[in-house]
Amino acid sequence: MSDPGQGGPQGVLRLGRQAFGPDRLLVMAIVNRTPDSFYQPGVTWDPTAAMERVHVVVGEGADIVDIGGVPARPGDEVEVSEEIRRIVPFVAAVRDAYPDLIISADTWRHEVAREACAAGADLINDTWGGWDTRLGEVAAEFGAGLVCSHAGGLPPRTRPFRVAYADVVDDVRRTTLALAGRAVAAGVEPTRILIDPAHDFGKNTWHSLEVTRRLAELAATGWPVLVSLSNKDFVGETLDAPLDERVAGTLATTAVSAWLGARVFRVHQVRETRHALSMVSAIRGDTPPALAVRGLA
Amino acid sequence: MPATIAAAALCPSPPLLCPQLTGRRPVLPELRAACAEVVGRLLGQDPDVVVVVGPGAATGTWDAGSRLDLSALAPGIAEGGRGTAIADGGRSGVPLAVGLGAMLLDQAGYRGPRHLQAVGRDEPAGACAKLGAELAGSGARTALLVMGDGSARRTLKAPGYLDPRAAGFDSGVERAIRAGDLAALLELDQALARDLMATGRPAWQVLAGAMPAPAPATEVLYCDDPFGVAYLVAYLRPREGEEGTR
Repeated sequence: MSDPGQGGPQGVLRLGRQAFGPDRLLVMAIVNRTPDSFYQPGVTWDPTAAMERVHVVVGEGADIVDIGGVPARPGDEVEVSEEIRRIVPFVAAVRDAYPDLIISADTWRHEVAREACAAGADLINDTWGGWDTRLGEVAAEFGAGLVCSHAGGLPPRTRPFRVAYADVVDDVRRTTLALAGRAVAAGVEPTRILIDPAHDFGKNTWHSLEVTRRLAELAATGWPVLVSLSNKDFVGETLDAPLDERVAGTLATTAVSAWLGARVFRVHQVRETRHALSMVSAIRGDTPPALAVRGLA
Repeated sequence: MPATIAAAALCPSPPLLCPQLTGRRPVLPELRAACAEVVGRLLGQDPDVVVVVGPGAATGTWDAGSRLDLSALAPGIAEGGRGTAIADGGRSGVPLAVGLGAMLLDQAGYRGPRHLQAVGRDEPAGACAKLGAELAGSGARTALLVMGDGSARRTLKAPGYLDPRAAGFDSGVERAIRAGDLAALLELDQALARDLMATGRPAWQVLAGAMPAPAPATEVLYCDDPFGVAYLVAYLRPREGEEGTR
């Protein structure tokens, strides 16, 4: 990726000690260390339940676990110290249990990212568009990766209010490219940088649909694209579906996004996502079917 | 010169007023009906000109052909998307509130003269009132369509989350409108309004400048916050015998 700002072919993505070619579609399993996240709130608030969730998602084929301690939506203030308390010991515990599992820390704060990386995190997943400008230096210090996202310039934990873009995809592209460039300048290994359009963040449903429709334009930058679609409001609004009825819509969006070039998928439903992505890989011809005997006997 | 405001209508300016933006299901039909009714009453005054006032980035007028660019809010929609919503002679980028006011006039079938006026979101009360007086003093029989919203921080699910000050702020505005005490709108705390994401503040203050004492007769057609944002629809008429020169 000699000149990613000008676009180019997808290259190798390095996470932890592993390297993935552009054909590998990776599942990032969400593990919330929060009492109040939007989907199944508090289900992994208890550390034992959270570790059980890690065992399950690893068994279901997760490549990455994304551990977060602060919900995206507004709510009670979570201080840095509390966020560290919520996720860092857990990162360490997961690292102990799974020496090779890729661990991502879902945080926008460099202080938290630093402690998480010290405890074994391989990737910093910043959903809030580089609000904290020091995340890059932390990633560089630890040889970790960094997700560069587009939140429409919103401060962390705020909702979109009548947002408008002359061209939302162009805004996403420019913003994430600038953040990726900033990360490289801070010393982050370029093969460890991803971009994320951040569906729903600073976007209404029309914007999230447009970003999905034109995801190939983001893949064309050459940077690996991460998408976080799982059970989000744009799926719910599109289908008029409550939170517990959004899996099919999520998987449809997942398949389209994979087809258009996304490489990492942050999800609640690991097994279903793995199946959807395996199907896409087979349709593309990247991986053969697990079994092909039909009509061949 | 005495003011010549024939009547004024107050409407909120959420994008969801625009039917093309909200998908297949009807959204807030009662709010849309209230807006349609109040605009109908306004036009029933047979004004020489309708002045649309709404908050924007800066104070300024927009060509009468300007329309809301729906593609900025909803890329990919078939009807009215991708720049096609801008009428002849208009330029793009008209502020949301002003564009929605123009849309309400279009929906009512109004084809007469219109003046599209943005008022800067940081314009102080005095400047807003002065602008209102200028708009009212044009000599023409003027109908005023004021587009503005109360706090967007009224509930936990509101766009701006819950701010406990929002309820008091909005009820103060409602009280002033119901009483026709528009001077009270000039006393609104600008910094508080900004904190509360109450985007209507400068537009309301233009209204106050356009309809100075005596208090107009007012009627509130809608006052609710279904998405945590305060929406108010109201109709204001100078009291009998007190309307300015014809």
